[in-house]
Amino acid sequence: MIYQQIVNGLMLGASYSLVAIGYTLIFGVLNLLYFAHGEVFMVGAFVGLFLVTHAGFGIFGALIGAMIACAVLGVIAVFVAIRPVAKDRPLAPLISSIGLTIVLQNVFVYFIGGQQLSFPETISQTLYRFGPVTVSSSQIFVLVIAISLMALLWLFIEHSKLGRAIRATAENHETAALLGVDVNRVVLITFIIGSGIAGIAGVLDGIKNSNISPFMGLGAAVKGLIVMLLGGLGNVPGAMVAGLLLGMIEILSAAYIGTTERDLFSFLILILILLYKPTGLFGTRTVEGR
Amino acid sequence: MLGGWIDNYTQSVLIFTGINIIAAYSFFAPFKTGQVSLGQAGFMAVGAYASAVLTQKFGFPFIVSLPVAGLFAGIVGVMVGFPALRIRGVYLLLLTLGFAEIVQVIVLSWDYVGGAQGYRNIPFNPNTLGYVAVVIIALIVFFGRLERASLGRAMDSIHQDETAAEAMGIDVVRIKLFAFGAGAVIAGIAGGLYAHQATYIDSTTFNVMLAVEILTYVVVGGGSTYWGPLAGATVLTLLPEFLRTLREWLELVPVAWTDFFPMNRIYDFLYGFLDFENAKRLIVYGLILILMMIVRPDGLVTRDSLMRLHFLRWTARHA
Repeated sequence: MIYQQIVNGLMLGASYSLVAIGYTLIFGVLNLLYFAHGEVFMVGAFVGLFLVTHAGFGIFGALIGAMIACAVLGVIAVFVAIRPVAKDRPLAPLISSIGLTIVLQNVFVYFIGGQQLSFPETISQTLYRFGPVTVSSSQIFVLVIAISLMALLWLFIEHSKLGRAIRATAENHETAALLGVDVNRVVLITFIIGSGIAGIAGVLDGIKNSNISPFMGLGAAVKGLIVMLLGGLGNVPGAMVAGLLLGMIEILSAAYIGTTERDLFSFLILILILLYKPTGLFGTRTVEGR
Repeated sequence: MLGGWIDNYTQSVLIFTGINIIAAYSFFAPFKTGQVSLGQAGFMAVGAYASAVLTQKFGFPFIVSLPVAGLFAGIVGVMVGFPALRIRGVYLLLLTLGFAEIVQVIVLSWDYVGGAQGYRNIPFNPNTLGYVAVVIIALIVFFGRLERASLGRAMDSIHQDETAAEAMGIDVVRIKLFAFGAGAVIAGIAGGLYAHQATYIDSTTFNVMLAVEILTYVVVGGGSTYWGPLAGATVLTLLPEFLRTLREWLELVPVAWTDFFPMNRIYDFLYGFLDFENAKRLIVYGLILILMMIVRPDGLVTRDSLMRLHFLRWTARHA
């Protein structure tokens, strides 16, 4: 029983991690709570659904298509809601990204309606048994894609030149610019990467929950925020681990304590972390004031 | 009261605008010391449920239950504000967001106040418009006096630089706690007024989006003066009414002007878009938020624009 719950927790946590990675990347380079990130996740799910049902793509085509569409959306977001907005006022980019959230959500409500749409079965369902644990093929697919994506991203951030530029910008804008990093370009690339990953996460969520709605973004956004904080603001590997951890905590508390208390637990964790360990579980830098 | 010469629809629009203005002031009070809270919807929920329980289950009159609800929300506010003193910025934003979410979960799972079915049959208060007007006037007078009082100046100095304020001998802890508690009292009153106007509340009434809307009222209106929350909440709440008026104006355009190819398509599109449907209204609302932050990031009413107004009046008087 407990092993089964741990596997379920990993499943839930994997999508939290993918959303939180984008959040934490963007927070790192801009010090901005990018509210619209949850809606990017929602757009990814709908693009994936459209590619599967209307364009006859396979699941890999849907994943790649959603990634590209969301990356484009990230570029649009930078040019519409981030760059033109004054940088010296901390609340202005927050409000403009809230505006973008409202626009994206309601464009989909307008065209699709507020109801849930079911996500077609794209992977043939077979159940595998490993001792006490039962996993379906779609669960394995989601987990493998999520973990390999995170591994790739980790390699990119830690070992590529661009990844180093992103980390330098996150540490200090001015110093990075002085050392020859094109900060504007780094911000754009961060948005492309974060949004693309959120798009993939959206499709994976569709496969896993088998239905999607225009309102799925808000929940993902709030959970992503908690995970980002748990992992430490701006800490990418921290967000990966914290997402899996939060998923497991939620599933275990739902299984052994009660389903209504599940959300209570994640928010209690949020508050405890804020009060006693604001640097996150892995002790990264703190951001004063902003 | 007033019911004689205002139709019901206008009256309810005015009431909800007023409640939004009060909610905007509840955000403004802690914001004056630099604390950005996403928990005001949570305090509204506390006030709304407290007032509803007092009137419906214990039979208190509304005039008693409303201040008690405000006070109760204030006590909760001080309890939240105390740990919140240690953190600021993004961390405070997330802490207050977490508080509001916890309030929602508690309301959802507590059967005494209706649980998932929501709280039904809250006594309707026919004089809400009067109450709202009195509260708003009181708030404007309060914040207007505060602007010139030493307490208000102390709050502004904390907003600008907390360390410097502390070095000047200002009791930062007490003033920040007071500001947070005052914001919670105001939010509780707004929630109480809402509950007895809508007569039905549930856990989703006071959700994250409401907290975000309250934040946008103040930022769009302008957070540097006490007229900002009033301006922001009024403009943003009445925006859909304004959009509908735009459609009536559109009907006044002569047919001959729009009866050829590109114009008739544009006209039809605009006409179709400007109806009262929620999704379209919200799309426009979101676009206006983005545009506002590009064009006027300090909000509609700023210290500068008020100064200019004062200067004009001064020159007119002394010309």
